[in-house]
Amino acid sequence: MPNRMKLTVSHAPFWHTGSSTSVKYYHIIGAAMLAVLFGLYQYGIPALAVLTMSVGSAMLWESLFNYLAKRPNTIQDGNAALIGLLFAMLLPAVTPWWVVVTGTFVAIVIGKQIYGGLGANPFNPVIVAYAMLLISWPVYLDFNAALVDYNFAFDPFYPMAAAKFQGAEMVEHFTISGMLMGQQVGGIGTGFGLGLIIGGAYLIARGFVRWEITISFLAGIFVTALLYNMSNPEVYAGPGFHLFSGMSLIGAIFLATEDSSSPVNFVPMLIYGALGGILTVLIRNIGVHVDGVIFAVLIISLVNPIVDKIRPKAKRRVMNYA
Amino acid sequence: MINSSIFGIAPPKLAYETIDEESPKSVQASPKEKITLFIEEAMEKASDALIKTGTPVRAGQKLTVYPGSKAYAVSPVSGEVESITPFTGIMEKQKTALTIRIGEVQDDGGDADPFEEVAKSPSMQVLLDYLATVPGKPDFSRLADDAEPIKTLLILGADSDLLTVTNQFVIKTAGDAIKNGVNALQKATSKRNINFLMAVPNHLIQVSGTAGVSAKGVSSVFPMAHPEMIALSVVGAEPAGKKDSVVFLSAEAVASIGRAFKDGRIPGDKQITFVGKDGSKKLVTAPVGTHVKDILEKVGATVKDGDRIIFGGPMTGVSIYSIDHPVEPDTDAIILQDKSQIVPSEDLACINCGQCVRVCPTHVPVNELVRYLDAGEYEQAAERAELDACIECGYCTYVCESRIPIFQHIRLAKYALERIKAAEENNA
Ligand code: SF4
Ligand code: SF4
Repeated sequence: MPNRMKLTVSHAPFWHTGSSTSVKYYHIIGAAMLAVLFGLYQYGIPALAVLTMSVGSAMLWESLFNYLAKRPNTIQDGNAALIGLLFAMLLPAVTPWWVVVTGTFVAIVIGKQIYGGLGANPFNPVIVAYAMLLISWPVYLDFNAALVDYNFAFDPFYPMAAAKFQGAEMVEHFTISGMLMGQQVGGIGTGFGLGLIIGGAYLIARGFVRWEITISFLAGIFVTALLYNMSNPEVYAGPGFHLFSGMSLIGAIFLATEDSSSPVNFVPMLIYGALGGILTVLIRNIGVHVDGVIFAVLIISLVNPIVDKIRPKAKRRVMNYA
Repeated sequence: MINSSIFGIAPPKLAYETIDEESPKSVQASPKEKITLFIEEAMEKASDALIKTGTPVRAGQKLTVYPGSKAYAVSPVSGEVESITPFTGIMEKQKTALTIRIGEVQDDGGDADPFEEVAKSPSMQVLLDYLATVPGKPDFSRLADDAEPIKTLLILGADSDLLTVTNQFVIKTAGDAIKNGVNALQKATSKRNINFLMAVPNHLIQVSGTAGVSAKGVSSVFPMAHPEMIALSVVGAEPAGKKDSVVFLSAEAVASIGRAFKDGRIPGDKQITFVGKDGSKKLVTAPVGTHVKDILEKVGATVKDGDRIIFGGPMTGVSIYSIDHPVEPDTDAIILQDKSQIVPSEDLACINCGQCVRVCPTHVPVNELVRYLDAGEYEQAAERAELDACIECGYCTYVCESRIPIFQHIRLAKYALERIKAAEENNA
């Protein structure tokens, strides 16, 4: 008499850590919240408008593309929302809505979906979008110009521009503690250094972000800035300034660490991160752009596939199929 | 047990289960009405079979289904054959299932047990002919083949998968039987120069002294007790182009061999680690062929629709279809999982998070491997992504953030490659 009970049958292993892609993305979104809330406090309603527009449109593009490509809808995994959120965090609070929507289109469709969606993108979609806008409409991303109408309790200069065009002397207006507490003009979510650091520490502790990349990125910035500063303190700002201003922190914690466009092996992660930090300072100090993070991350993603080939030799006891 | 620290910097560490009791006890379970034995060969025409429905079977009798066939099973009970059916295991492995209804058989006073006769002088032939299906399931095929360059026989006293303590239990309680088994094996292989080694969990090094072979300690961190990992640490990798010089036998298999030669009877009691839905473990002894439901009844466990019954450990075991499934000679563990405890795998792409790469014990670039496997490019997977180095521990799949059934893909790929290889050899 055969037994009719229906047991669950599947392949080993029968345990799982319980981790998942959506758990990861929602945690990253959560960890970004301190910096985002500070941005809302600092820039008010316009920042809220940019944030909602960005997150909303990113999710909409994702749904729309999935629909057109006849793929299952993936907005519930949180990745599109995360892309929208990070993108908005980089923008000035007064960015026109159509710039935001164009940006999220570039991020979701050109940065992610046309490669096949989650996990297949060679670059961080947020970086792709921002770089595209930086080249196409630099004027809307100029923080000094964009934020003239605000009255801040601190010097309303975009620190990156200040350092670049007015030299190290100007940099003295920015103290490290001030920058950590958000006393710098910039993107909605890039200014509050302390908030970013707390969020980053949480993500690293939980294993959602690879510390190797974050730490080596920051180390790259530190060392390179220090060398420049020592060579000519009149012209080049010190490492503290470079670490806590502009997009350094958000870059090291949230942008360079995007899974698909970064390495997974130990040594490659260190090389990738350090190279990103070095390039960031090089671009800031001698390049044409005021901040270097975006293009630095773009370049290291380009070398990622090559760097990640440096991996430990597999341990193989017997050759079977060679 | 899982030791997941809140600091995710290090991947979750998995530790093997240990027996803490000084002298652990095992509960004896018995089959109720019938048992089922698997014979490792595909079922052919029933008319050729030596065994038919109604054929009487004596306890300890060796059963061969087809004339001239090398595959067999040994029945631990007396009774008569109720049915012979085909059975398909994982990766399409074809078997023949013999179900025996338990009952008295008339003693015809005829031939004595043929094993009793040959048990007096252990030899490779006796091992092959009678003891290949004893509890612990020793694989003698390479040991018996003089063309195989065997140098080391590694006795596995450490259980390779989690939660399981079967071989540890044998080490703790059956030192004499292991010693007898080692003696018999040494006699059977005396023509060759084979080094006997035993691998045991570090905490059992002392206990293992009675077996008379030198013992190596094995770490309690998963998957270091995997046979391949033990072999890597004990003998290292084979030089390029060389065949494997190591064979493995479980401690239980060696103990079974020892018992067989000592008693002149083929042993049938399988040692099992039973783990209930609440994670509690019990040691159970049951004859090979006992249906799971009889064991569940003995330990007072229940299952319902949607639950999972695992034969073997949580990382590398096999889930079975029915509570009528029998205990097999290598069923070291039976684990119950409630429906609510099951994390289903998903059909997502790899996000390149690298968790798999960080846990793989043999440094397989799993993130690259999954891309080849997903595309069905198995040869590329072997050439460029170290498919060959995978020892099938399941760790990568346990940590995969996209919940990809990587392990299953790996098995399929290896299976496909083996078939290609076999086809090429046939054509050559
Ligand atoms: S199953 Fe996964 S983790 Fe284990 S050896 Fe194979 S690739 Fe590595
Ligand atoms: S753990 Fe899974 S998702 Fe992460 S890199 Fe490995 S295969 Fe890809």
